[in-house]
Amino acid sequence: MLSAMRSNQARKDKARGSFQALPVEAMRARPLRLSVPRSLSRSAQREAETVSAARRLNRAAGMLAASVLADSALEHYRGSFKNKAMFTPLVVAGLTLAMSLHGTADRRPVAHRARDASYLSAAVTGLIGTGFHIYNVTKKVGGLSWQNVFYGAPLGAPMAILLSGMLGFCSERVRANGRRRSRRIFKLPAAETVATVSALGLLGTSGEAGLLHFRGAFHNPFMAVPVTLPPIGAGLLAGAVLNGGRRMRGLARWWMRLLALMGFAGVGFHAYGVSRNMGGWRNWSQNILNGPPLPAPPSFAGLAMAGLAALELIREARDA
Amino acid sequence: MSDDPLHSPRAINGRAPDVFRPGRWVSMKQYAEHEAVDFVIVGTGAGGATLACKLAEYGFTVVALDAGPYFRPLEDFASDESEQTKLYWTDDRIVDGDNPLQLGSNNSGKAVGGSTVHFAMVSLRFRPEWFKARTKLGYGADWPIDWREMWAYYTEVEQALKVSGPVNYPWGPPRPRYPYRAHPLNAAARALARGCEALGIGWTETPLATLSAPRGLAHPCVYRGFCVTGCSTNAKQSALVTWIPRALSAGAEIRDLAMVGRIETDANGLAVGVHYNRQNQWRFQKARNVVVAGYAIETPRLLLNSATDKFPDGLANRSGLVGKNLMAQANQAVWGEMDEEVRSYKGPPSLAITEHWNYEDEGKDFFGGYAYMSQGPLPQLWANTQATAHGLWGTRLVEAMKRYNHVVGLKIVGEMLPQESNRVTLADEVDQYGLRIPRVTYSWCDNDKRLIDHSVAFMSRALGAIGAKDLWVQEDDTCHLNGTARMGDRPDNSVVNADCRSWDIPNLWICDGSVFPTVGGANPSLTIQAIACRTADRIRGLSRVGEIRLN
Repeated sequence: MLSAMRSNQARKDKARGSFQALPVEAMRARPLRLSVPRSLSRSAQREAETVSAARRLNRAAGMLAASVLADSALEHYRGSFKNKAMFTPLVVAGLTLAMSLHGTADRRPVAHRARDASYLSAAVTGLIGTGFHIYNVTKKVGGLSWQNVFYGAPLGAPMAILLSGMLGFCSERVRANGRRRSRRIFKLPAAETVATVSALGLLGTSGEAGLLHFRGAFHNPFMAVPVTLPPIGAGLLAGAVLNGGRRMRGLARWWMRLLALMGFAGVGFHAYGVSRNMGGWRNWSQNILNGPPLPAPPSFAGLAMAGLAALELIREARDA
Repeated sequence: MSDDPLHSPRAINGRAPDVFRPGRWVSMKQYAEHEAVDFVIVGTGAGGATLACKLAEYGFTVVALDAGPYFRPLEDFASDESEQTKLYWTDDRIVDGDNPLQLGSNNSGKAVGGSTVHFAMVSLRFRPEWFKARTKLGYGADWPIDWREMWAYYTEVEQALKVSGPVNYPWGPPRPRYPYRAHPLNAAARALARGCEALGIGWTETPLATLSAPRGLAHPCVYRGFCVTGCSTNAKQSALVTWIPRALSAGAEIRDLAMVGRIETDANGLAVGVHYNRQNQWRFQKARNVVVAGYAIETPRLLLNSATDKFPDGLANRSGLVGKNLMAQANQAVWGEMDEEVRSYKGPPSLAITEHWNYEDEGKDFFGGYAYMSQGPLPQLWANTQATAHGLWGTRLVEAMKRYNHVVGLKIVGEMLPQESNRVTLADEVDQYGLRIPRVTYSWCDNDKRLIDHSVAFMSRALGAIGAKDLWVQEDDTCHLNGTARMGDRPDNSVVNADCRSWDIPNLWICDGSVFPTVGGANPSLTIQAIACRTADRIRGLSRVGEIRLN
């Protein structure tokens, strides 16, 4: 009976599997949980929840990796791949995206060595990339000046692949908890750790958007959105960790959905920004490079998805 | 009908070109010539266009006339230096003196929008002390305006033009944040910066009136580099794409290809309108007030050409100062070559600046100051410079041009002192309209020469410090023209008062660079526009208390 139900569940999951990589699904964390049959033993249910949580994090990591892949491809192409190292984020982000898709499809309750290796290399790439970008900025005349942080290599950008790697790595650690009652990432509580990483990621990405939108003089009032909503989201995540009441978590969950929506809407706004350059979309080959970066805003969606995963972990840890 | 803007007026039949939309028009109010408008403004450059806009927005009826064509930048401007000489005022003039001025490019403009259509967009505030140059610095003349008042008007203009500037400006008293962020530096600008750092002086991104982000229908700068031959993307915030569209929507009328030849005065000694030539016809526009905004040559020329029995020496000239105290600005350069490519023509020509010698008085053997900026000469101009100023010809010129991509240069905008002997007078010859042409007499004084020597020596050190080779000095160049109808606090030492109002004829105003008592070491366009904004506010204030003729 149990095995029949499992395979039934597996079929259901398979049927919806193709949608699961889509972020819209990620915004519906609750139905995923409800899909675990009540008749399962507590520990089996816990394991299913653990894997779901891990897959959500794989998805968030993948979303970030996709954003980094497209963004670094665009920006480094613009920089003519002057330094061979500029190919690195493309390779690493591509691999991280593939591994995240793999993780999203994987229902086994064990960490995967290749995914781990890939996520770790993404994190290391983020750190080294940040070093490269700092070097690029500080070697220019004027050093660490507004001019150079505006127009030199963006200091915050490599952090996105670092975050993707960290979230992916967390995902594998969460997954490895299996049926264990309190989920841990090494010795840290998983829920709070993922929430903290997501909140810091939101703050950092918001800072990056703030810097570049300041460069654009906030000429369009909507440019203030990604510097106001994400810090509030980070605050709500912090509130969920510290306070953890249902209302706070509910508000945080809605806010994360709003941020994910903002991440995708941002592509539309940036597309409009591209159109406002000389020649508009008719001159796409120049203006996509010259205008606001189309792939950048979805990194907020990736972080919001991680935030949703964290909130679900908190709920499971505290309400269960 | 032909759409050649050089020969057929475009601002007619109740409409004017829409500079933002190819082929489109905007509606324009029109005024009958026989009905007096509140203000007729002669010239639509930095002074005239700004004033026309502000006065129209304050509810006055305004007609602004310009001798030049009404261009559509998106359609009429080519990436071709020769073609774009159509923006310059190249009518006949006579130049003389010890250092005759070269007229026609960087000191004139014949278009709706005036020379702002091809200016280098450098938008600098004056050093506060310059407004009291005589009292505080011991040279030139005092302005009758306080710098703090000007500071507020500078802010207004910077906002109106969405000036792109550095986050923090290194010199002078605090100023508000520039509305848009500075542009990225090109290699020529970084060369200036490295030179400054090597010599231990400050530098910054030049505040430029060209967009670093979208604004309405105007696109941000694409770094095409043809700024001084006319911006074809509307990134440049010239009067043509800023004040003029605002003026039109506020109800002002612009008349292009309308050359004003004479200001009419009545028996009471008041101005009653202007005679102007449009489509080979002399016409007359009645006005309650006349504003002359023709810049430092055409303004005195018009005043002098408008002489009557009552005003035999020309209008507004009881002081005898009309045409006198003409001030150009020194524009010397030091050029060299770098081993690496510079491609200085990429982007706006003057992306980086140092105003160190505008604000530092220690170690100077001269009065006044200078700024110097990075340079980006276009190829034809560069070939001309190499052939004339550098004296290269034949194989040597060809070889020099092959190294064009390696050229790096620094150029000053330097203060020249007012001298009554530097002046605009009328020659006996007449131009195509039958008007007497101006004679422009100019000689450098010893102070001017000392300033130039100081700047050339300093810039040579700066280029030497970054490894530039084969340095040479371009010794004879000037830019900008100011000062032929100076403002002051007394009728005997000036042509107009602080409100740009003539001492002699209360309904005659002068609103352009002519009113400058001194020029400073900064490009004048921002100050001209700030003065125009102030004048508009003063006119509104005076009209409220009945001190302006409006009926």
